[in-house]
Amino acid sequence: MTDLVVQGLSKSFGSNQVLKALDLTVPSRQFVTLLGPSGCGKTTLLRMIAGLEKATAGEIRFGDRRVDMLPPGERNIAMVFQSYALYPTMDVARNIGYGLEVRGTPKPERTEKIGAVAKVLEIAHLLLRKPKQLSGGQRQRVALGRAMARRPDIFLMDEPLSNLDAKLRATMRGELRRFHLDLGTTTVYVTHDQLEAMTMSDLVVVMNEGVVQQIGTPEEVYGKPANLFVAGFIGTPPMNLIPAKVVDGVVTVAGAPLPVPLPPGAPAELILGVRPQDVTMAAPGDAGAVPGKVWMVELIGSERLIEVEIAPKLRVTAEVRASHRAAMDDLVAIRPDPAHIHLFDPATGLAIRA
Amino acid sequence: MRFRLSDRQVGVLFMLPLILAVGIFLVWPIAEAVRLSFVRYNPLRPDDQPFVGLDNYLFVLEDPLFWESFWQAIVWTGWSTVLQAVIGVGLALLLHQPLKGMNAFRGLLLFPYIVPTVVIALNWRWLFNSEIGIVNHLLLSVGLIDEKIAWLSTPSMAMASAIMLNVWKYTPFVVIVVLARLQTIPTELYDAAKVDGAGVLRRFRDITLPQLAEVLAVVIVFRTIWTFNKFEEIYLLTRGGPGTSTYNLALYAFDQSIANLRMGVGAAAGVIMLVLLLAGSMLYIRVSGFGREDKAA
Repeated sequence: MTDLVVQGLSKSFGSNQVLKALDLTVPSRQFVTLLGPSGCGKTTLLRMIAGLEKATAGEIRFGDRRVDMLPPGERNIAMVFQSYALYPTMDVARNIGYGLEVRGTPKPERTEKIGAVAKVLEIAHLLLRKPKQLSGGQRQRVALGRAMARRPDIFLMDEPLSNLDAKLRATMRGELRRFHLDLGTTTVYVTHDQLEAMTMSDLVVVMNEGVVQQIGTPEEVYGKPANLFVAGFIGTPPMNLIPAKVVDGVVTVAGAPLPVPLPPGAPAELILGVRPQDVTMAAPGDAGAVPGKVWMVELIGSERLIEVEIAPKLRVTAEVRASHRAAMDDLVAIRPDPAHIHLFDPATGLAIRA
Repeated sequence: MRFRLSDRQVGVLFMLPLILAVGIFLVWPIAEAVRLSFVRYNPLRPDDQPFVGLDNYLFVLEDPLFWESFWQAIVWTGWSTVLQAVIGVGLALLLHQPLKGMNAFRGLLLFPYIVPTVVIALNWRWLFNSEIGIVNHLLLSVGLIDEKIAWLSTPSMAMASAIMLNVWKYTPFVVIVVLARLQTIPTELYDAAKVDGAGVLRRFRDITLPQLAEVLAVVIVFRTIWTFNKFEEIYLLTRGGPGTSTYNLALYAFDQSIANLRMGVGAAAGVIMLVLLLAGSMLYIRVSGFGREDKAA
């Protein structure tokens, strides 16, 4: 039952500021993902929560206990590393029980706890092996086992799935989510893979350049991106971000008027965001559609991506059923779904909401 | 008519330089030493080399000086190797710290290893000189000793001085090998151990030391062999003296062959050293479990 509160946390390496006065609250029992591109500071934040990096300023609290002065061993956290970091000279059982061993847990109790964890993770038959003799998926489970054995207040995971092949990754995503629901331990999970963030999290924290861009449920960060960065980062293929103008109170894109409800006080120049899934194909000259020329067609399985050039160097992608055919240089039009259009202020990058 | 070689013949040709080098510089000298150990050979009478069977070996084994040299060689090798390993690991751990300017220290460390032994030995003789040496001067002025110590002319001190020189000169070898191994240990292992609550000593004992075990086994075998065979340092520093108090087997073999003109006896002592070192190395490698880990995987 431990909330994790981060207040005004900053971190600099020399003159390079990687975290800028960051505030974050992780409610207890939630699975929270720190999502962002490489170098956005998400791993640094995780390591600071773990106590492996010292904060330049700010504080970290677990519940009402301030922990940022404590060494990692006294914070009662457990961490799963990207490389798993299993102790190569110890067998699986000792790897899992090492945290208990260090804390002086008597051997019979330790053996019992190791056995229990191994049973849950279905690795009981591997206890006497060395990490070298395990497959990637088995190592992953041992690393999880090591984290679970101590019953920590908080789980920290640093891209734990990135060393697995695609198929195993999909399986482990489900299992990690399952373990979280069973154990109910507050979890902070770092990833750059939005699919992991979307499928596993209760809350997603989108970060960029050391600043939190948005905190919300997966639905919120996908459906209501707070700014241009979140809009462009979340979703595959990425959202179309198209410059638009307001002419006589009507939003126009490349000269074509679109039936978009305009919030009061919107600036005269906007950026219109629409996901490829919310763009349909139309005939040139249709109302509420922007005419253009097919620039590129890609089949991605059950769907087809059609890139349409609506103005020089300005292209919009539509995701349509694979049965929809289009040839290069066809004259077509794209119709953004007015109900799923996002408007942003180009000056601030922030979303404009009614 | 064109001359063609088969693949096999080409292969043999490629190996020929190595076979020749190994044959001339390794196999032949060892074979010659073994042969010499069974004959009586005075270098002043090279025409007269009668076969004497095991006489040379019996002579060596009945010579009290051989046994004195043997035990002194053990003391010399044991202390040198242990001190080099301990100090070497300690220094490597210090030099592994990510501090500014550490590369300069890592470079400086090689210095004792580069300087020729003759230069070092002569310098040490000056440093340890009981009348005008800086070691006595410093110890006296700090007040650690009341009167001058005769470093190189009392038996126990002479051995200690020789060991100090050996440790000073060859510890860098241990440091380099250990440092290279330390740098390959993933830092995430230490992070994981910190999260598990392990302090500095536990991390050293449970992570660093087991990872160093293999490389230490190799280092200790090499250092033992090289130190056991070491001749020039002792010869240049003390000439085996005072008396015979710093004789080791290399010095004994040299003395018998060159000073006493008994090449056969010297060769017999050399063959005994060879057998001792072979047996010792094999035993140590077996006991330390070197290479076992990889075979299991």
